[in-house]
Parts: sequence; C-alpha cells; structure tokens
Amino acid sequence: MIEVEDLSKRYGDVLAVDALSFSVARGEVVGFLGPNGAGKTTTMRMLTGFLPPSDGTAQIAGHDILEDSRAARRAVGYLPETPPLYPEMRVEDYLAYVAAIRDVPRRARDEKVSRAIERCALKEKRSHVIGTLSKGFKQRVGIAQAIVHDPPVLILDEPTAGLDPNQIREIRDLIAELTSADAEARQTVILSSHILAEVRTICGRVVMINEGRKTVDASIEELTRDGQSLEALFARQSASDLGDVAVSREVS
Amino acid sequence: MRHVPTVALRELRSLFVSPVAYGVLSLFAVLSGLFFSLYVAAFNAWMVQLQQFQAFDQLQELNLNDHLIGAFFDNVGMVLMFLVPGITMSLYVAEKNNGTEELLLTSPLTSWDIVLGKFAAAALFVTLLVAMAGALPGLLFFYGEPEVGKTLSGLLGTLLLGWTYVAVGAFASSLTRSQVVSFLICFVLLLVLMLLPAVADLGLAGAGDGLSAVFRWLSAGGHVQGLIQGLVDTADLVYFAVMIGSFLLLTRLTVDSVRWR
Repeated sequence: MIEVEDLSKRYGDVLAVDALSFSVARGEVVGFLGPNGAGKTTTMRMLTGFLPPSDGTAQIAGHDILEDSRAARRAVGYLPETPPLYPEMRVEDYLAYVAAIRDVPRRARDEKVSRAIERCALKEKRSHVIGTLSKGFKQRVGIAQAIVHDPPVLILDEPTAGLDPNQIREIRDLIAELTSADAEARQTVILSSHILAEVRTICGRVVMINEGRKTVDASIEELTRDGQSLEALFARQSASDLGDVAVSREVS
Repeated sequence: MRHVPTVALRELRSLFVSPVAYGVLSLFAVLSGLFFSLYVAAFNAWMVQLQQFQAFDQLQELNLNDHLIGAFFDNVGMVLMFLVPGITMSLYVAEKNNGTEELLLTSPLTSWDIVLGKFAAAALFVTLLVAMAGALPGLLFFYGEPEVGKTLSGLLGTLLLGWTYVAVGAFASSLTRSQVVSFLICFVLLLVLMLLPAVADLGLAGAGDGLSAVFRWLSAGGHVQGLIQGLVDTADLVYFAVMIGSFLLLTRLTVDSVRWR
C-alpha cells in the first residue's frame, strides 16, 4: 500500500531524512517512532505531498507521490501535528468542506460526514463552532477530517500529543476501532508517536528512525520476543552512535 | 479548477463571521455616503455661484457626470485603496496560522483552485462595496439627467480597479504570516502603483520617454480616468486583465513555493 524508496530531505546543509526505505502492506498499522527531530514529521509531510523530497520517491496506493501527486493525495487521509481547523466554522460545515475538496461526490457528502461524525463520537458537537471545543474534541475533529473521504491510507502525526490521559485513551480507542479487522473499510495506517505504550497497543509493526535514518523495522512480536522492552530499545536506538550521527549530518 | 466555488464559498462564509467584513462594510458606507453628500453640496454651491455671476457659458458646461459622479468615483477608488488591504490581509495569512495550509496543500486541490477561489471571494466582496457606492449616483437619476452610459462605465472602471487591488492584496497576503505585514505590503504596492506617474514626471524628465511611458501605463489612474469619462477602450480593459492576471500568477508562484521550498 505504501512503498517508500530512498526518500531523502535536505534543509540546507542538514540532512533531515536520509535515504529512508520501508513498505507497509494493506491493512497494516505501523508505528513510526523516533525522538523529537528524528525526521518523522518531515517524512510524513513528504508522503502527503506537502513537502517535496530532495531525493527518492514513494508510492501510495500505487500512485507515485511525484509523478501522480494528485491521485496519491486523494488516497491519503492526513492529520498533521496540529489539527488543521478553521476555528470560526461549525464541525459539520468544516467536515463537508474537507469532503468537497477531497473530491467526495456531492451526493455522498452528507452521508460520509455523518459517518465520520459518528465514528469520532462527535454527534452532540456537530453544530458547535470549532473554536469553542476542548482540545480533545478538536483532535477528534482532526481525525474526522482525515477519515471523512474513506481514504485507503491514513497518516497520523502524533495523534495524542498534548492531550490529558482520558483523552489519550479515547483517541487511542478510536484509532484501534478504525483499524480493527472487522471495520468496514479497513485502513492502512502510519502513525507517529513517542508514547511507546500507545504503539504497543495499536500497532502491529514499528519503524524506528533516528537522525533521519531507519534503525529498526520489525513487528512488535519480534522486538519483544527475547524479553526486552520497547522502552529499552527506544532508549538504545535514540542514543546510539552519536559520533556516527555527527558524520552523517555533514552533507558532502 | 472545479473546486474554485468550493474554496470561494468557504472564504466568504469565514469573512462574514469575522468583524472585519462588517467593519469594512460600515466604514465604506459611511465614507462613501459622506463623500457623496460633500460632492453634491459642492456641485450645488458651484451651480448657485455660476448663476449669480451669470456665467451662462460655464453653466452650460456644468453636468452631473463630469463634475459630480466622476469625482465621486475617483474618491471611491481612493477609499478602496485603504479598505481592500483590510479585506485581503487574512486570505492566506489565516491559513498559515490555522495550520490549514497543510490541509489545502495535501488535498487534491490544484494551486489554481486555491488562488482563484480566494480571489473570487474577495472580489465578490469588493463588488458588493462598489454596488453600494453605485447606488448613490443612482439617486441622481431622480433629480437630474446624468448619462447612463458614462455612469455605468465609471462604475465598471471603479469595479475593475477594486479587483486589481484585490489581486495585489491576495499576493501580499501570500507572502507573509502576519496580517499587519500583509496589510502594509499591499498598501505600499497600491501606493507605488498610484504614484508611478508622479515618479515618471519628477525623476525621469528627459531620461527617456520609453520608461516614462511604461510607468504611466503601469499606473491604474489613467486607465480608470478613461472609463470614468465614458471611454470604454479595449486597451484599458486589457490593462486591468494584465494586472489582475499577473498578480494572480505571482500569488500562484508563492503558494507553490510553499509546497516546493
């Protein structure tokens, strides 16, 4: 469903993402892990067509993000780090607008909006003005806008960042529900996080990056088989090879 | 380009829940009404004066179009120069500050959908303002006999001027993340556009007629004057099309540069 091939992003002299390759099969839920500044957001922005890669490319649902950008963008539901909301709009109007610009045919819009509202438990907030909602509800509206057009691929950038523990649990349950095997339209998901418990409960696989390079790509089972915890692995991978990292940063 | 109305409609709805739209509408109604009354009073005083001095030749030449409506439209153009930057300042700035820029650019919208949609929304708002201003000279038809053609072509000139200002303002808004900076960039650009003939007169006297002619052509003033005097010249219409088109193209380039920086 998602094929990433040697994707790189360079900001001036800094290599933010360095020849990253991985693939995600249909229906898989992959946790994208790494310390802050590892290049998670940059990678997601390249996959969603917001930023162009400096090098390499990726396929989303069979569409190349460079050659067939619009088709690739149509196949993606994306929740950026800060949910992209218009504070002055009502929830249902906002979702209808997002459905429209994401090419949902006019006839199907009402139904899709209602379904997204239902799935994200926003029913009693549907006619509220977004700016008046709590942070947790805003995040839900953010997820609703990512799924409103039933995209085959979901890309969620830190969907639980900045929420209180109850809200985190709610959002986590929501994502688990969206990706459970019996959901009608099961989606392929990449979600970034640095909350390891979250990744362990929701994701089947982990791709870990540090300083723009892939350090781990394995299923949760494989990683925790020999009794080691994900936390220990994360700590080791994020701290390792600092000298090596310094070298990789200098772009020749 | 089929999503232009979608983008424009959302923009208009957001404009009308913000106090800015109502502020601009009220301010414009007050200012245009005030200036119109002043011009009517001045016209009246002038007429009385000419009668007292029995200057019948001049009285014969005095007419509503050249001595009242034309001057009023000139003035409306000036008022628009101050108000349009206020309407357009948030067009792109708000998207950047809401984070919705990321939504727009990762949706299947094309850059033209965004640029034309936003332009259409602000241009419609300015059309509303110009229509309000146009109603005032409309009143004169009850009391005198202004020329319909001349009045309408003056109105068209004012409208095209307003749309040009919108295109400039949209471009200014695409350049920055701050509404204040966006307002200032737009205002300065409009000021430069207005002052170009003066620059041509002062600095370029004898420095080559070519450049001076270019400066004069670039300024909106002369082109609007033609229309206000009732001369619908294709060359003037082409001027407005070129100005609006160029600034829309520049806006598209800056919107794309966000995608490809």
